[in-house]
Amino acid sequence: MTSRPRLATDVNVVNGLAAVALFVVMGYVFVTASLPAPSGFPDGSITASIGYAMFGLVDQAAIESEGFLVAFEIIDVLLVAALVGAVMLARREEDSGVVTALTDGGRRIRDRNDSADDDAETDGGEN
Amino acid sequence: MAIVTEYYLLLSAAVFCIGVYGILTRSNALIFLMSVELMLNAANINLVAFSFHHGNLTGQVFSLFTMAIAAAEVAVGIGIILVLYRNFQDVDVTKAATMRW
Repeated sequence: MTSRPRLATDVNVVNGLAAVALFVVMGYVFVTASLPAPSGFPDGSITASIGYAMFGLVDQAAIESEGFLVAFEIIDVLLVAALVGAVMLARREEDSGVVTALTDGGRRIRDRNDSADDDAETDGGEN
Repeated sequence: MAIVTEYYLLLSAAVFCIGVYGILTRSNALIFLMSVELMLNAANINLVAFSFHHGNLTGQVFSLFTMAIAAAEVAVGIGIILVLYRNFQDVDVTKAATMRW
């Protein structure tokens, strides 16, 4: 069975009207807001200034900014934690059933589970 | 000639509301992740737009950090979806109604 993308027809459009209403409200507020003209950046390399700001060297940057060195290091720890968490979640136990990558969207295995007559057969990985 | 900030706000509101629409109407966990990503990126558009508006680079640097946090969130989210699929043979969030089964 192929699993090409299909237009979802089981959407809950009534709930989606809340999002449309939110857009109408926000759009009204933004269009009627009277902001001054954007001041823009002074001359100088924006990319270099971003780099200086990220490492807390704001006195060398051409464009004014805050220092972000502490945030940079905290993000480092956060990314490592997320990586470890993802691996911990994705690691499967030894006696679990499905062993191949589910390239068919899992339909084959779901159909097999629905029929539920031959659970002993492990997935051969012929896809 | 710079684009006025209101248009950036309007674009950001549109992207954010598309994300909210996806969250509210679908029940597929992967679509949820994509919709949350849309909402995060709408916030990024706002940060960059106001960074230009005020002539201060803080917003742009902050949006970079937001992207890093979004990457971490997606890594954990995909891990959770993997476990969800393993336990329910489906990524429908409405089927996982109990914490233990």
